[in-house]
Amino acid sequence: MLLEARHLAIAYGDAPAVWDASLQVDASEIVAVIGPNGAGKSTLINAVAGLLRWRAGELRFAGTDLAGVPSHLVCRQGIALVPEGRRLFTRMSVEENLEIGCYRSEARQARGQTLERVYTLFPILRERRRQLAGSLSGGQQQMVAIGRALMARPRLLLLDEPSLGLAPAVVDQMFETIRAIHAEGVAILLVEQNVGKALEIADRAYVLEEGRIVAEGPPAVLLGESRIQEAYLGMRDTTDEASKVG
Amino acid sequence: MSDRRRGVGIGPSDRRRGVGIGLLAVGLGLSALPAVGVPAFYESFLYLIFSWIALATSWSILSGYAGYFSFGHGAFFGTGMYTTATLAASFGVPFLATLPVAGILAALLAAGIGAVVFRVKHLRGELFGLLTLAITFVLATIVLNTRIDGGPGVYLLGVPIPRLVASPAGTIYLLGLALAVATVWTAYRVSCSRLGLGLFAIHDDEDVAEVKGVPTFRYKLVAFALSAGIAGVAGGIHAVYVSYVTVGETFSITVPLYVVLMSILGGARHWLGPAVGATIITASLYAFTRGESAIIGRAVVAFALILLILLLPEGVLPAVLRRWRAWRPPRAATDIATPTGPAIEVTAGPDGHRIPVKRPDPAALRCEDVWKAFGGIRALRGVSLSVESGEIVGLVGPNGSGKTTLINVISGHYAADRGRIALGDLALSGRPAHEIAGVGVSRTYQIPRPFGHLTVLENVAQAAMFGPDACPLHQARVEARGWLEFTGLGRRAAALPPELNLHERKFLELARALAARPRVILLDEVLSGLNTAEIASAIRLIQGIRESGTTILFVEHVMRAVLELSDRVVVLNEGEVIAAGTPREAMRDPHVVRVYLGKAHAA
Amino acid sequence: MPSLTLLGQSLISGLLTGGLYGLLALGLSLSWGLLRLVNLGHFALAFLGAYLTYQLGTVARLEPWVSVLLIVPLFFALGVGLHVVFVRFRVAEFASLLVTFGMTVIIESLIQWFWTADFRRYETAYASASTRIGPLFVPTLEFLACATAAVLALATWAWLRFTYVGKALRASAEDPAMAAAFGINHRRQAFLVSGVSAAYAGVAGAYIALISTLAPAQMWAWVGVVFAVVIIGGLANPIGALLAGLLIGVSESLTMAVVTPAWAPLVSFSVLILLLVARPGRV
Repeated sequence: MLLEARHLAIAYGDAPAVWDASLQVDASEIVAVIGPNGAGKSTLINAVAGLLRWRAGELRFAGTDLAGVPSHLVCRQGIALVPEGRRLFTRMSVEENLEIGCYRSEARQARGQTLERVYTLFPILRERRRQLAGSLSGGQQQMVAIGRALMARPRLLLLDEPSLGLAPAVVDQMFETIRAIHAEGVAILLVEQNVGKALEIADRAYVLEEGRIVAEGPPAVLLGESRIQEAYLGMRDTTDEASKVG
Repeated sequence: MSDRRRGVGIGPSDRRRGVGIGLLAVGLGLSALPAVGVPAFYESFLYLIFSWIALATSWSILSGYAGYFSFGHGAFFGTGMYTTATLAASFGVPFLATLPVAGILAALLAAGIGAVVFRVKHLRGELFGLLTLAITFVLATIVLNTRIDGGPGVYLLGVPIPRLVASPAGTIYLLGLALAVATVWTAYRVSCSRLGLGLFAIHDDEDVAEVKGVPTFRYKLVAFALSAGIAGVAGGIHAVYVSYVTVGETFSITVPLYVVLMSILGGARHWLGPAVGATIITASLYAFTRGESAIIGRAVVAFALILLILLLPEGVLPAVLRRWRAWRPPRAATDIATPTGPAIEVTAGPDGHRIPVKRPDPAALRCEDVWKAFGGIRALRGVSLSVESGEIVGLVGPNGSGKTTLINVISGHYAADRGRIALGDLALSGRPAHEIAGVGVSRTYQIPRPFGHLTVLENVAQAAMFGPDACPLHQARVEARGWLEFTGLGRRAAALPPELNLHERKFLELARALAARPRVILLDEVLSGLNTAEIASAIRLIQGIRESGTTILFVEHVMRAVLELSDRVVVLNEGEVIAAGTPREAMRDPHVVRVYLGKAHAA
Repeated sequence: MPSLTLLGQSLISGLLTGGLYGLLALGLSLSWGLLRLVNLGHFALAFLGAYLTYQLGTVARLEPWVSVLLIVPLFFALGVGLHVVFVRFRVAEFASLLVTFGMTVIIESLIQWFWTADFRRYETAYASASTRIGPLFVPTLEFLACATAAVLALATWAWLRFTYVGKALRASAEDPAMAAAFGINHRRQAFLVSGVSAAYAGVAGAYIALISTLAPAQMWAWVGVVFAVVIIGGLANPIGALLAGLLIGVSESLTMAVVTPAWAPLVSFSVLILLLVARPGRV
């Protein structure tokens, strides 16, 4: 198990709390965490990325306990984050944003090689490498955010609501890219509100509702259950209706 | 504000009388000094203390209460000094007559500056401080280079001083005393008034204060002009005291620095704080102002400022008061006198909950074709929806669909780019936020934004005071208590918002929104972050609000609640309305299902 | 209307003075822009540097450039120390203005204690040296100050633009949490910026000692101008600070030539006020 979270309890000011979250991500997996907004998905992934502290529970990455690791050293463990809303450094160029990704020394040595890889993955970024990140479109910014995380040569890539604010065609493209990245050997933990896309790509998924994991399993199983409808649409008996709708 | 940890035991008018009598007594006592025949040195020394009391207290009316730290108090003081100097020395105007002119000119200067600066949203905090500092230097240059001074300074030795008592020094002493007492009294009255509460709210969160009905621009302007006017009069008196006025001495860094220090030392938010600070500092400085030590004196003063800001950010007086209160025997809950004044009428709701009886005043909310863009992002694209009076409408949609933006636009936090918003017959679009609050629109914030330095009770009282039915502070407090009981926060009335947990802070948001007795209430994700039991209690609360006759538009993600509460549901996606109808209808609309669950699910 | 020669001389004088403004503004622009802390003490530090240069020059008979070599590391340490205090007491942006305000007064008093309020002039051999270009004179010391400003501005720009540390600084300034997520230690960076900024103040101070007459109260005269330069040039924009300095310097000296010199301070303060009011959004 690459990432192991056991009974995590996180609360941070007014951020939605997570009461009891246990999940695992193996090095070969794409794992999704789905659930309605306010359920605590971002809180959970921010804690894994080291941006938030947790109150109780345990979080281990490749065997190392992350409890004592300060925020700026989490990256060194091999975890990279693509945050909600991109959070690019808007006043810096595309290439500079990517370079921040490989700030840590081990990644910096492989800078040229990784940069090539990112530009191959996202050709349009190569064209716009000197452009200010803040002036790009939503989809392009998402590419930069993913590229920046890849520059850190992570073993685990965290994605927080990657489809947010993107046009459907762009979303499709992006999920293809995520698949391609995974194929190169990076484990993925993905938090998404868009159930359809998330379950299409995931090997396993967890459903987070009101701060607790209420279901887990492979997508096919979860889709069949009514938990998801309940969580998102609030209704217990729509399975028939939903299947009638075309 | 200092009775916040006691109950409403002594009525406010009693307290006002008490403070008034106290000040008068002190003033009369001190005014006897010249007649008693003390050495001129004491008159002089005490005059200085009075002058600083007036300056520091007047400074704190804007800067302490509202948080707009001005480094330009010297400009207004200087305006007063030069007004008196010019009028009295060059034009022979009787000295006493120059004082009101000095005050008015200074007040006008402040009003002029404020009229421009307070409209500019980003000029807060350190930028405001810089601006006022710059204004002081500009004024100094102008005075230095024009006929007002021109360089050599202005002599007032020939100015006749009215003989109120035996010596001119005595007269100056009495004038200084009168100004100090008047200033402290003014500060006291302001701090207990509507203006004061508004200023305190502006201090903690100006945007929220505006949305909760405080006319922020007007209040800041009034406070600034008042503060400057007093400084002007103080300057006028001081001109005669020093009898030789120069630009260098008048517009030096001393006045801005000392008033800041004195207020912070004593407690900038308390009406008596700056006076305490002024007395301590002036007395301490005296110990150093002998020849060489004047330099060290200033250094020590500055060092004290630094230490104070770092260690005692709230000031000496509040710390002392707190310790004094902690030492006194604690009052039992029963000691707290029953509130006098009209209480909220309550009736029993359907499940036994006590709910306030509301005057029937229904209003419908209508949004027509509302557009709002931020830079390139179009958050709202032609949104039209209506909420009939007495209805509960749920507003749902995925993240980023524009729900909170719509709430912000309706409540006046942002102005819509296009479109009409109306409450009944009244147009809302284009009005400043505090007017929108004034006609009966109230909102909660998704991330609670209470006024951090005001108690829970004061937070709710503020909303009551500035709602459509403006009421005096005393009555607002009584009503606030009622609303706190209604939301279950009664025990926490005296607590400060940072001490509350998330659930309590969300309910405080609700209480504040309700206290304004709105005709329409906008709830923004009140339930997010709450556990199951808390959600159930919140749902009951919201139902109670509807029963008391308020129209509700609420944004929510917790679908159970949406289905239970809403008469109708409106679904937003990417800034557009994609479905509207009964909850079941809307949530089964195929487009809605697709948006939430994706194609795979809908197929 | 003054003659062309006079105008030309004013232009030169303005440019050179503007260069010194830029030099002084450089450190302030860096610390304010990258750390979000307003350091009024920058001026006091500069004057401290000026008086130290004077002292070392007149008493210890050290060449100014030797004094600078001593001042730079000393002031770097002072800058780091200041930031340690800020961190320890969790001083936020606005409180920093107040604290440094107090600091400025303390340093001013210290200076007055040691060197009295009398005017001090650091007489050097090259004080009156100048180069002649046609009918115009270019005073050497002022020119050196301006040249130093340009060099440092360019160097700082290059540092921010091309080095990893520079990019990390810019990223941290915009979004410290995200920068940390990629391994950037904001605190250590902040110490670096604070130290560099203070060192720049020291260098500016050395030139002030060489060029102008010193008096403790003088430091306040620079406050308006330099803040105007910083804001016009844009926070954390070294080239902007230099250009803004030149602009202000020229407008001031032209004002002095066309109207009376006493009105000159009005220019910078008025521009500052106009900018504060008119500039949209955060500085």
